Amino acid sequence: MSWPITGIGALASIGRDPDELFESLCGGRSGLAPLRGFDSAKFKAGHLFEIDDRPAPGADVPGRATRFLLDAVGQAARDAGLGEDLSDVPVLIGTGLRELRSLELWWRDGAEFAAERMHFGTALRERFGAVNTHTFSNACSASLYALALAVDQLESGAAEHVIVAGADSITESMFGLTDAFQLQPPGRLRPFDVNRKGTILGEGAGAIVLSRGADGHRRIYGRVRSVGVNCDAYHTTAPDRAGVAAAIRQAHERAGVKPGNVDLVMLHGTGTPLNDEVEVRAMCDVFGEHAKVPLVTAIKSMTGHTAGSAGVLSVITALQAMSTGRIPPVTELDEPTEEVRALRLVHTTAATGHIDVAQINGFGFGGLNAVAIVEAVR
Amino acid sequence: MSEFAQIVVSGVGPALPGVAGAGDLVTGPAPSAEPVDPAVLLGKKGLKYKDRATRLGLSAALAGLRDAGLRDEDGPPAVGDRVGVVVACNYGNVETICRVVTTIAAETTRGTSPMDSPNASSNIIASEIAIRFGLRGPNLTVCNGDASGLDALHWAASMLRAGRAEQILVVGVEPDHETVRKLVGADRIVDGAVAVVLERAETARARGARVGARLGGYARAGGVEECARRLGCLSPDTPGGWYVPEVVGDTELPAGLLAGVPRHAMPDVWGSLSGALGVVQCAAAVARFDAGEAGPFYALAGREDDGVAGLLLLAPGDPR
Repeated sequence: MSWPITGIGALASIGRDPDELFESLCGGRSGLAPLRGFDSAKFKAGHLFEIDDRPAPGADVPGRATRFLLDAVGQAARDAGLGEDLSDVPVLIGTGLRELRSLELWWRDGAEFAAERMHFGTALRERFGAVNTHTFSNACSASLYALALAVDQLESGAAEHVIVAGADSITESMFGLTDAFQLQPPGRLRPFDVNRKGTILGEGAGAIVLSRGADGHRRIYGRVRSVGVNCDAYHTTAPDRAGVAAAIRQAHERAGVKPGNVDLVMLHGTGTPLNDEVEVRAMCDVFGEHAKVPLVTAIKSMTGHTAGSAGVLSVITALQAMSTGRIPPVTELDEPTEEVRALRLVHTTAATGHIDVAQINGFGFGGLNAVAIVEAVR
Repeated sequence: MSEFAQIVVSGVGPALPGVAGAGDLVTGPAPSAEPVDPAVLLGKKGLKYKDRATRLGLSAALAGLRDAGLRDEDGPPAVGDRVGVVVACNYGNVETICRVVTTIAAETTRGTSPMDSPNASSNIIASEIAIRFGLRGPNLTVCNGDASGLDALHWAASMLRAGRAEQILVVGVEPDHETVRKLVGADRIVDGAVAVVLERAETARARGARVGARLGGYARAGGVEECARRLGCLSPDTPGGWYVPEVVGDTELPAGLLAGVPRHAMPDVWGSLSGALGVVQCAAAVARFDAGEAGPFYALAGREDDGVAGLLLLAPGDPR
């Protein structure tokens, strides 16, 4: 079985909607910019991939992740013709950092904030009348985990439409703890480069509407075939090659596709030395002699690591690659690693290709792996 | 993998103040409820640098896995690939996050400790449970406000029906801390955890597991009355009791709602249960079935300005 995607919505540092974002990605535009909402005296790093929406430079405000989410969900619901009333539509949100930035501002500066705003249900109720909302805090694979649960809901007949979203703003604690233990700020986010120095956080939100049927919808962007999910149960922070490979295999098996059928892989590609190495090795383990079949790319060199929203933003990018035949490149890449040369990495400039089946990788802190397979509608 | 697969409770593991065994979930905790001591339950090894919520979660997880027969005293049977973990928790990392921003303000990021890094992540409890007990199935952290515990049971059931795991360990946990009290506006937080193991009825039958309850259905609605009505549609019989939400917006529960049905609230001595509530409600219903009550029980949790979740809990032998 597969489920049509009938609406999409997205925003990040380099675009306010899916089209603008995709144009930026294909043009190799980076959202990396000097700190906007943080006191630069407190951090070694001076740059992040923030969304530029604060009322005044240098002053942060609570509730930004929630606003990003409402924006993306609103876009996707309108696009799918669901309008503003989502009282009957489950909304599943994957996030790394919830509204923990607002918690920080409440604690440190006395900003207005209430405990029931840590998750997104209350705001979705106010804006869309939604009562069946679920905030999952599953680190950097959160929105793909949410996609897995949404697919299960459609398969069991529990819902006609499900909205899957991801949203994250940057927290000072996560930025600060990363900053403290990167010996030098990475400067650039350089996935799969021999000189990559680590990841840089970004902000973003994405949403897709999944429906049981395609009837009555303006446009079908593609179909979700499967999502595989597992846990390494291996290490608190380090990824495990066997766990990652098992998640990819699970996604293939559930979708009924073989490595040789996959045309495009959206890699997780965080730019940390360990993630990129483990991800490429696990890809080679699974794809074997077909390692050079799919084009592979990743978006984080331009969007930053947008945590829980990264997976759904990569899904949306894959859907646009399917419809336009354009594949955004990995940028900031001067010298590809020996390992990644085993794959057909799109880098530096956009490529073209006919994409029927795409795989999207998402791996999170704590060994949370989620891998989705989507297919084109021709 | 049938969409109609019945989901049962095959293990319960409390790590709650004043609770020595599951039976205490019916009678209530001892009045002088001592704090849960994870070092006694787990041994001290591997607990250094773990936050309070993770320690509590690990304690409940071990008790739940043992009760379900998935782990004996000597170690685990080799089942980890097909066992998942779902944690319900809202406030596990609140203290770490707030302390880190205080440190950064005073000393820049140079003052922070690397030991805080894992604990800043909201999924630390679920991933530490997976690592300690070798559970490689799906791993999900539900941070969904007051309804989190019941929502967690629902998503565990959904993943079992979809064939994503053979068993799922569901843990509800909230730590007590001054920072959390201030955020929640409560005098105290439960500072405890409870685990419930779910699996498909045929899986439990095949391995001879003892079944404590069956999930009869789940509902989500905008308010308590509507949610109770929807549970009523799932089971025509008058319930044998209902577990009430912790906070219902600013309104009291309507007096006429489920008139004559015994209301079960959590004891005051525990304070706020928040995300742990739904899992404690489920564990308490199992204890009532064990004590011979017929049920069925309704469990409700959530807020009327957000959403209210409801779960129907049936006795193990209930023919519905």
